[in-house]
Amino acid sequence: MSYTFTVNGIIRTTDQDKPLLRYLRDDLLLYSVKDGCSEGACGTCTIIVDGYAVKSCVLTTKRAEGRNILTVEGLSVREKEVFVFAFGSCGAVQCGFCIPGMVMAAKALIDRNPDPTDEEIKEAIRGNVCRCTGYKKIIQGIKRAAAILRGDEDTKFVSQFADEDTHGKIEYISEYGTPYDPEVVSGIANYRNYGHASIYGTRYDPMELSGSENPVNYDRASIYGVGQNVFRIDVRKKVLGYGKYPDDIGPEYFIPEDKPELIMEQAGWTREELDDALRRGEIKAGTTIHRRGEHGCNACTIVESDMPPMAYVSAVRSDYPRAIVKKIHKEKAESLPGVLGVLTAADVPCNKVGHIQQDWDVMIAEGDTTRMVGDAICLVVAESPYILEQAKKAVKVEYEPLEPVRNISEARAEDAPPIHENGNLCQQRHVVRGDAAKALAESAYTATAEFRTPFTEHAFLEPECAVSFPYGNGVKVLSTDQGAFDTRKEICHMLGWLDTPERVVVENQLIGGGFGGKEDVTTQHISALAALKFGRPVKAKFSRSESLRVHPKRHAMEGTFTIGCDENGILQGLDCEINFDTGAYASLCGPVLERACTHSVGPYNYHNTDIRGYGYYTNNPPAGAFRGFGVCQSQFALESLLNVLAEKVGISPWEIRYRNAIEPGLELPNGQIADVSTALKETLLAVKPYFDNNPKDRVGIACAMKNAGVGVGLPDKGRAKLIVKDGIVYIYTAASDIGQGCQTVFCQDVAQATALPIYKIRNGVANTENSPDSGTTSGSRQTLLTGEAVRGAALLLRKAMDESGIIEANLDRLNGREFTYEYFEPTDKLGSDKPNPRSHIAYGYATNVAVLDEEGKVTDIYAAFDAGKVVNPLSMSGQIEGGVLMGMGYALTEDWPLEDCVPKAKYGTLGLLRATETPEIHAIHVEKDWLLDVSYGAKGIGEITTIPAAPAIAGAYYAKDGVLRTSLPLKDTYYSRK
Amino acid sequence: MAKRIRKIAKIRCRGGSQLKEGIDRASLPEDCKAIKELYPEGISKCSYGCLGGGSCAAACRLGAISIENGNVPVISEKCAGCGLCVRACPQNLIELILPQRNIQTACSNMDAGKTAREACSNSCIACRICEKNCPADAVHVVDNRAVIDPQKCICCGMCAVKCPRGVIRDLYGIMTD
Repeated sequence: MSYTFTVNGIIRTTDQDKPLLRYLRDDLLLYSVKDGCSEGACGTCTIIVDGYAVKSCVLTTKRAEGRNILTVEGLSVREKEVFVFAFGSCGAVQCGFCIPGMVMAAKALIDRNPDPTDEEIKEAIRGNVCRCTGYKKIIQGIKRAAAILRGDEDTKFVSQFADEDTHGKIEYISEYGTPYDPEVVSGIANYRNYGHASIYGTRYDPMELSGSENPVNYDRASIYGVGQNVFRIDVRKKVLGYGKYPDDIGPEYFIPEDKPELIMEQAGWTREELDDALRRGEIKAGTTIHRRGEHGCNACTIVESDMPPMAYVSAVRSDYPRAIVKKIHKEKAESLPGVLGVLTAADVPCNKVGHIQQDWDVMIAEGDTTRMVGDAICLVVAESPYILEQAKKAVKVEYEPLEPVRNISEARAEDAPPIHENGNLCQQRHVVRGDAAKALAESAYTATAEFRTPFTEHAFLEPECAVSFPYGNGVKVLSTDQGAFDTRKEICHMLGWLDTPERVVVENQLIGGGFGGKEDVTTQHISALAALKFGRPVKAKFSRSESLRVHPKRHAMEGTFTIGCDENGILQGLDCEINFDTGAYASLCGPVLERACTHSVGPYNYHNTDIRGYGYYTNNPPAGAFRGFGVCQSQFALESLLNVLAEKVGISPWEIRYRNAIEPGLELPNGQIADVSTALKETLLAVKPYFDNNPKDRVGIACAMKNAGVGVGLPDKGRAKLIVKDGIVYIYTAASDIGQGCQTVFCQDVAQATALPIYKIRNGVANTENSPDSGTTSGSRQTLLTGEAVRGAALLLRKAMDESGIIEANLDRLNGREFTYEYFEPTDKLGSDKPNPRSHIAYGYATNVAVLDEEGKVTDIYAAFDAGKVVNPLSMSGQIEGGVLMGMGYALTEDWPLEDCVPKAKYGTLGLLRATETPEIHAIHVEKDWLLDVSYGAKGIGEITTIPAAPAIAGAYYAKDGVLRTSLPLKDTYYSRK
Repeated sequence: MAKRIRKIAKIRCRGGSQLKEGIDRASLPEDCKAIKELYPEGISKCSYGCLGGGSCAAACRLGAISIENGNVPVISEKCAGCGLCVRACPQNLIELILPQRNIQTACSNMDAGKTAREACSNSCIACRICEKNCPADAVHVVDNRAVIDPQKCICCGMCAVKCPRGVIRDLYGIMTD
């Protein structure tokens, strides 16, 4: 049997009956069709079939017989440009993994309904999950795309793309001053790489681009500097789907030395360009070739001629949370044709990895005991994903199941079996200041309650994936993670190479969301191990269910909080015990627990605290970092109790917060002096009208604070290197942009410091070999720490320019020059005996107000955030909207049910909010005149956005029915599962 | 500017059950309630399905429902979702749905699997394959037939593709023909 259908205008025939997703990606290399779950739940693989948006993982080649299929690659040039412009100018793109699917859902809608309402757009993307944006900017982007496509939006400046459809010029339509794609401005947008082969990008004359009426000054920093609404640098490759996430690296990515002409196809090079590169000796093993003109997008890598093609590795994982592995029968699998081998713990030089504590077995050896259902038992390596699946089924493992440790109380029982050598108490912290017991005893009012919060799944759209290949005397890992140097360290630990870490090179590709869930190694180390074992490129990719089982979640908490105040509502003291379930492995239990403890006091001015924190091992899936970093849990408890105190005192929930709010110069509860940039009161004042003007019984409020930077005495440094090449400044810093937009921020920092135009500034492809370690993407630190390092390096560049009278036009006189800068501000350890220790270099502050309707549905959330200087207002609003919606999911719908330590949820049943369920989220930027003197005053926004929404919503329900809800997701609400 | 939410009628039966022995289609009245009164136990091997009397077509003021030779009625795009046909169907087979919710069930048989299989070639046999494959926990077998929860359904069509009986349909005609 064979099946014939049309894909992007070309008739295709296949004799394989398989999901269309697999055919489009594996056979046609249409990588805009993303594989987010392969089970119909996420929408990243949405394509258009006969005019309808369809999930390509559901439809099969057999059922597609005779149909007309369209992917993003097949859109007309005009449509592509419109979606790039509309999504970029609205700030709709963050991690980008859902975006091609959104584009296709939007295109199907707009074709049928050229002027859709917000409600119709929400309905059309109801099957497409976005975890970053909170949907608001995507909906705006679709609205704008529709307006341009139907010709309704005003033309203010005209771009000059030759258009295959019209054989003429396309008019770009935009409000005056709307940011525009830097790739177009700098002339690196390249049409050969996505479809219509004959179209080329044109280098823009900035003055011409500005149009006549209101000239846009494109040649100065004003247009891309700090504080401007800028068009992110990664919009085009994400909207059009040609940017590479690791899973978009297929066998065709590796080109043998002796077949250089294949580069022409992969990178869009001409014969002349190839010949040039050959003459210059640039085509040799180890070289990465970039797409024509695009430094930020890899096209292929040259490997040695005798290197075999890419193989695939995957783990056979434990069926039991706690069981002795008696015997691993791998012979049958090994004998299957196409299987390269089966690796067990005995094949690993050092069988442990771990982000901070190395307690995580790469594989569970025969005779050892599993700690969770996701534990790897052995690794199967095969020539194709299909053979791999067959071989994994052929591996039989004999287990002796044991009773698992299900929760915190079982873990701390006296006769509990120890999950790790040193028992089940993984981490503990004790934070004491003043005399909490006395303060509470003397308080006029106290409130106390026990709180429980669940595990939460990150649900980033891109499942974990890594591709490794032999490189020099080691291995190169193409990864999607939150810190290339952390990943390198974990892999080196496994390989026993800690003394020669340079043998491992880690390079991040595009990262399809992280939220803390991509801090630990998951696929990187197993692909590196297999690549070294078999001497060839190896891809390791998690299925969605594997992803759900393996990567660490947000910690579940059980805690008891007691807080007291005087008769005027002035807080006196806090006593609390926080217990975290960290599951099978430590991951980041220590720092997360510490942050939960240090932030449990809230951003208020009182100084008697006794906080005890414990993190316990259980046989549940591991828990680690998650946006909010422990503070989501403790702030939910604290802020809920504040409402009870306010009621007892007889003042409003707003008033009790305002009376206690921290101000510059006051001591934070940890003793640190609040710096000049502290703007908690300003956030309270910003939301006051919304709190006052909504019915008292349907409105809730909560504040939050969150550290920026790792702090607590650790050597947390920001580093950056600028290199001038071909008259263009390249920024090299191994800082992961997981979607939050730090790479764009770095470009803005350089533009601001040097007054260079954006078309003179680019991000280099950073890896651990060519870039300095700039730490992890965690703790809202990249904008502040790496941002300051980039600013420092850029100011050195500016100085060099000034000294030699160099301007943008003759910047090539600095070709080959490098400017490096390291930023480090020491902090004090937890428990430091200084009277005013400095735990963190900065804190962000926030106040949210949630409003319910009569049914108890959340209609509006007013979200005021102090993040210092707002570097890119468009991006900051996107962070707020996405983070607040994530917080709302945490409050109302998201859960991670376990049954005897076995996860029961699928991606589609996690309770992720969909576009139709979003309230109006009003992002409010609070920017003071007084700012920190680093990084242009920016403090970071990523983490704090998720914290205050849940307690604000809980507060609104408390105001509505007087019931103090002490667990998440909140019970008996409009959203409770019926 | 809020637009009125448009709904359309959907019949939860595809036909396919043979008439009982001794019943001749031509001799039946052209009114479903009358048929039901004559044969309270039903006219086909499946007692839950469409009677083919055309009462829904008769009730429709827009001529949106056509019916030929006792087959299951076809509802055209003219349907405005007024609901007259819903009331006209004595078998309670017609429901109003949102037109963009394109994945719908098309069987109302509440008998156990084996009986349902024998009664009709297009029947839901309560095999629960849809339940197992649904990513959103939206489809469940209730009273021996698949029922989709419109609140949870994300219209991915996985159940329609996996259904061995063709009971779950894609109204757009992409996932199923």
